[in-house]
Amino acid sequence: MAIPVLVADDSKLSRRSVIRALPPELEYDITEATNGQEAIDALSGNTYSLLLLDLTMPEKDGVDVLKYLDERGDMPNVIVISADFQPEKQRIVLSLGAKRFIRKPLDKEELAMTLFELGYL
Amino acid sequence: MVDLSLDEDQRDALQELLNISMGQAANSLAQLIETKIDISIPKITSVTPTQLYSLLFETNNSFYTRQSFLGDVHGEVMSVLSRSGLNEVAALMEYDEPLSKEDIQEIILELCNILAGACLAGLSEQLELTTNLNMPTLFSPDKGNFDELQWQHSLVMEVQFIVAISSFSMRVVFCLDDASLSRIKATLDDLLA
Repeated sequence: MAIPVLVADDSKLSRRSVIRALPPELEYDITEATNGQEAIDALSGNTYSLLLLDLTMPEKDGVDVLKYLDERGDMPNVIVISADFQPEKQRIVLSLGAKRFIRKPLDKEELAMTLFELGYL
Repeated sequence: MVDLSLDEDQRDALQELLNISMGQAANSLAQLIETKIDISIPKITSVTPTQLYSLLFETNNSFYTRQSFLGDVHGEVMSVLSRSGLNEVAALMEYDEPLSKEDIQEIILELCNILAGACLAGLSEQLELTTNLNMPTLFSPDKGNFDELQWQHSLVMEVQFIVAISSFSMRVVFCLDDASLSRIKATLDDLLA
């Protein structure tokens, strides 16, 4: 069965590179959000197994999305994929319930390894 | 004449590459001063020299630096560093108070090297271009000089770093000449293909 995935990133290039980096062994049902608010809207009406989340976005940012999920209490597996990888940022997102933090530029192998660790592969 | 404006996809791609470079730059400084740095979403605009002057120098109470870069692409990086909060950043960089004129100059140039330098390096690396950044120099903006700038229709990539727990902020603007812009557009197209 296809895995419902939400990819939230304001950059089209980045969303495309994330989607292309998903291991081809699995099937995905992909939804794209172009900012944090769109991600929250998508999350409020649908169930996703996996959220691939950028942090620096307009409207609401990735941390706002995590806060929304944290308050709601029902959280998909969140992998943050961000260029802003300062230690403090990583600490914040992991404390808000993100499962992993991956640096941009995205490394395909690292994403595959992370999905393996989370039990998808 | 070659069209030097960026289409939506090229702009998006350049913005994202710049965002990645800023992240690397901010992390370098954050490690050095052990403090969180907030980064803005990069802004990419085309401006005339007069517009560039207003964009950079409408702010008072700032230090200004410029540094040119050469290589596969040519251009200039201009940075605007706020005077406010600089003492706190200096303390985090382990400078003792009171700061001498030399100390202040050293701190400014160091911040430019770390932030502007890392931004350019990151961008070049991702675009697989070679660039060499010259040393930054402090300068006082003069509107007259700006009308003669060679960046007649410069593409301005503007980013901002804000140091948490202080009022310090720094804006970095990259200006490119037409040939370099053409080269970057072609490289972005390869990336998007």
